[in-house]
Amino acid sequence: MIKLTKITKSFGRNRVLNGIDLTVEKGEVVAILGPSGSGKTTLLRCINYLEKPNDGEISIDDFIVNCRNPAKKDIHALRRKTAMVFQNYNLFRHKTALENVMEGLVIVKKISRDEARKLSIELLEKVGLGNKLSSYPSQLSGGQQQRVGIARALALNPEVILFDEPTSALDPELVGEVLAVIRKIAKEGITMIIVTHEMGFAQDVANHVVFMDEGVIVEEGHPKHIFNSPKEERTKQFLARITPESAYSI
Amino acid sequence: MGTQFDIAFVFEYFLKLLPFIRISLVIVGSSILVGMGVGFLVALPRLYKIPVLQRISQVYASFFRGTPILIQLFLIYYGLPEILKLANIDVSKVPVLFFVILAYGLHSGAYMSEGIRAAVTAVDRGQVEAAYAVGMTGFQAFTRIVFPQALAISIPILANLVIATLKDTSLAFTLGVMELTGKSQTLVTMSRHFIESYVALALVYFIISFILEKLFNLAERRLLKHEAPISSKDRVPMGRKWLNSRIDGEIALSKGGSGI
Repeated sequence: MIKLTKITKSFGRNRVLNGIDLTVEKGEVVAILGPSGSGKTTLLRCINYLEKPNDGEISIDDFIVNCRNPAKKDIHALRRKTAMVFQNYNLFRHKTALENVMEGLVIVKKISRDEARKLSIELLEKVGLGNKLSSYPSQLSGGQQQRVGIARALALNPEVILFDEPTSALDPELVGEVLAVIRKIAKEGITMIIVTHEMGFAQDVANHVVFMDEGVIVEEGHPKHIFNSPKEERTKQFLARITPESAYSI
Repeated sequence: MGTQFDIAFVFEYFLKLLPFIRISLVIVGSSILVGMGVGFLVALPRLYKIPVLQRISQVYASFFRGTPILIQLFLIYYGLPEILKLANIDVSKVPVLFFVILAYGLHSGAYMSEGIRAAVTAVDRGQVEAAYAVGMTGFQAFTRIVFPQALAISIPILANLVIATLKDTSLAFTLGVMELTGKSQTLVTMSRHFIESYVALALVYFIISFILEKLFNLAERRLLKHEAPISSKDRVPMGRKWLNSRIDGEIALSKGGSGI
């Protein structure tokens, strides 16, 4: 179980997160929605300390990090319990698909190369890239790169995988293959927190939807409730603007 | 130039110069090593924006890039002992070569620091974040992810620098070091065949530079193999390849001596 308590974060004078409380149960798939600038990505990046929260508490099971003055080794431990899939894939460009997945296993988890190779090949096959093991990122399409990114995250066997707008940088025709992979691993019961703009996908895959605006959680709950009968005015506005019925006409 | 041009002397001098390639390469090699160390140390404060050290390294880089190498040689060879004398350190027994290597090392270090800085910033920040997210420490992220890529990016800069330094070593003869140029001077005084000796000298420098250039091209292709679009199938035709390498060569040559 992941628990965020009163997380705040400012960039200079600009307060981006304003006391966020969020509890994620084991095996839950959480989708974080909201307009741009609402702090969703910042929140996600605070969970593995790529962004340093100013205050609050992050806990994963019994492991607690106090964000006011965290020890360096706590940050490190937090990162080892989490994994992230980035908007821009951020694969290691000088390493092949296979080496990208192996890197964390060998360097961080200290697993033997042979074992790491075996596991990595399995994972790349799972994301449908069994035939691209020795391709470099520059030789892969965006969708393929992102699937390597997902395999890299899976390899670490984390408590939670954080997805930061995993399909935003993709060509529309490549979005599907990535979403299919995410959907597949969601079914295996891995805890996931996904920041996304794909409403249909959120509705379909998530079992916990969080709507954020201006640095606070406006509303959260089961996707059925959030999408069909939102309570807050702000949520209604947001959903109305992005659902097809009200799409602008030219 | 009293005597008539005689091609036989070119060959003779060429062969006589060959053993002195060693000392020139020793100067180049050691000063590039010194330069790498210095360049790395100087680049770090600027990469990590350490307040006072950042200023100092900026001043260092602009001084050594903004003054001629010949003046730097004189300043270090004649000036440094004077300063050390004030601190009661006697360096009169230290060989000239030491000062020469120090001067070239500091000189190339200034260029190297700029190269390292540019190369490290060229590796995108996202990969570092990914390394952290995977659970690597800062040190692991640097050595495993940033450094190998920065190295590949900086190969062309390094190649230019090595070749420029090779040519700059010809000035070491002004301090009496018996390297290639120094030796050619003595050959001339014995036979008065000036032109032949300089032709031979130019040939030696050119051949070494040419070989170095090819080696660096090879290293670059090897280290940047990950950026090549699918290889082997779409080979560049021979003519194009020749043209490309010509263009590369011209760019590298146009850098020229960085000194006077």
